[in-house]
Amino acid sequence: MEKIKIIGALLGLIFVTPLCAEESPQQIDLSKFPAASVDNVVVPVPGEIFVVLDKLGAPKWRDEMRTEEIKPVSDRAQIALLLGTVIADGFVAVEAEDKEAVKNIGKEVLRLAEAINVRKSVITRCKSITDQADARKWSAVRQEFDGALHDVRAAMQELNDDDLAQLVSLGGWVRGTEVLTSVVQKNYSVDGADLLHQPGLINYFDKRIDTMNQRLRKNSLVERIQRMLGKIRPLIGDRDGATISQESVKRIHRMSAEMVNAIKEGN
Amino acid sequence: MNSSKRNLFKFALICLGALAFNAQASVDDALSFAHEAAHPYVKQGYVVREDAWGGDLGVKDQQAVSVQLFKGNEYWFWGASDTKAAVLSVRIYDSTGKMVDADSWQKGRFAATRVVPKHSGNYFAIVTIVKSPVERTHWALVYGYR
Repeated sequence: MEKIKIIGALLGLIFVTPLCAEESPQQIDLSKFPAASVDNVVVPVPGEIFVVLDKLGAPKWRDEMRTEEIKPVSDRAQIALLLGTVIADGFVAVEAEDKEAVKNIGKEVLRLAEAINVRKSVITRCKSITDQADARKWSAVRQEFDGALHDVRAAMQELNDDDLAQLVSLGGWVRGTEVLTSVVQKNYSVDGADLLHQPGLINYFDKRIDTMNQRLRKNSLVERIQRMLGKIRPLIGDRDGATISQESVKRIHRMSAEMVNAIKEGN
Repeated sequence: MNSSKRNLFKFALICLGALAFNAQASVDDALSFAHEAAHPYVKQGYVVREDAWGGDLGVKDQQAVSVQLFKGNEYWFWGASDTKAAVLSVRIYDSTGKMVDADSWQKGRFAATRVVPKHSGNYFAIVTIVKSPVERTHWALVYGYR
């Protein structure tokens, strides 16, 4: 029996091996990687940030929820941005554990997706959002909102609307930033403000807007977002770990809140 | 175009189509394996992101995936290949190029790394095909947070 244990342990060593230090260098030169892969940042979902805010304190998530109704709009860029903000609202409602709000947001996602011909891609997700909210399975609802964002973007990319898909991500990021700064400015901490340190993401969005087709690039909302990115960049610092001041948090909040309102109103 | 040329053209098209389908299927397989590696962690409270990355690489080739991570979260990155005998590694570096892995493992075609960021900011997941019996190895990467 002892022999079997020893053989088992040896097999374990062979099949589950911590990676040796020499296999991967402790320091690498990132400039040797193609710029495209290094510059294309994976866009986080608002839920990733909200989870940290929960750990830092007990935000009053209900105070962060939007109550005003979203009016029907016809501009596709505005709809894509709105869709992003509404999905971000979904993450807020999950944190607030507000079942009815989550279900209403699911319906809103469906309505906006229909307006840009990607309804089919999110029907199953939206049904699941409702079901999981009824069952109060908040982690599953969070996963479904991430899935809805992913599916909508994938459907747009299939329709060769990659630029519009980016606007959905941008809308989500703007609304996520509004909520993040609102929570942090109510109870400022260095760690809370550190969540705003997203230089790679800001550069990515900025460059991505530059490569959009001219019609979208010249859209007043998109132009305004790009200007906002330029103003936020110096406020979040270049260096990792640099303190972001309370005043900077306030300024970023003001800009992002105005932007979310502009996306809603279309001006 | 005469009949034999037309047939040759059709054959080439079919071959190209089959190659494209095979490549896609293989990345999808690699993705399924990456999700398989992630699955046990869901019970530990990790939310696995829907976004995933994949492609094919030669032996010793590397791919960088740029991600925004937040201080206060814990992350796991799970990589996998569709090639059974392939060995890949997944390591995480900060924006200065310094390795920041808190923990990592490698098991057959699977590899994973845990990160607990000291600061919020830009990080890089570097996928390397360490060994493989095939010229181009399909890989996929997913990550989760809690």
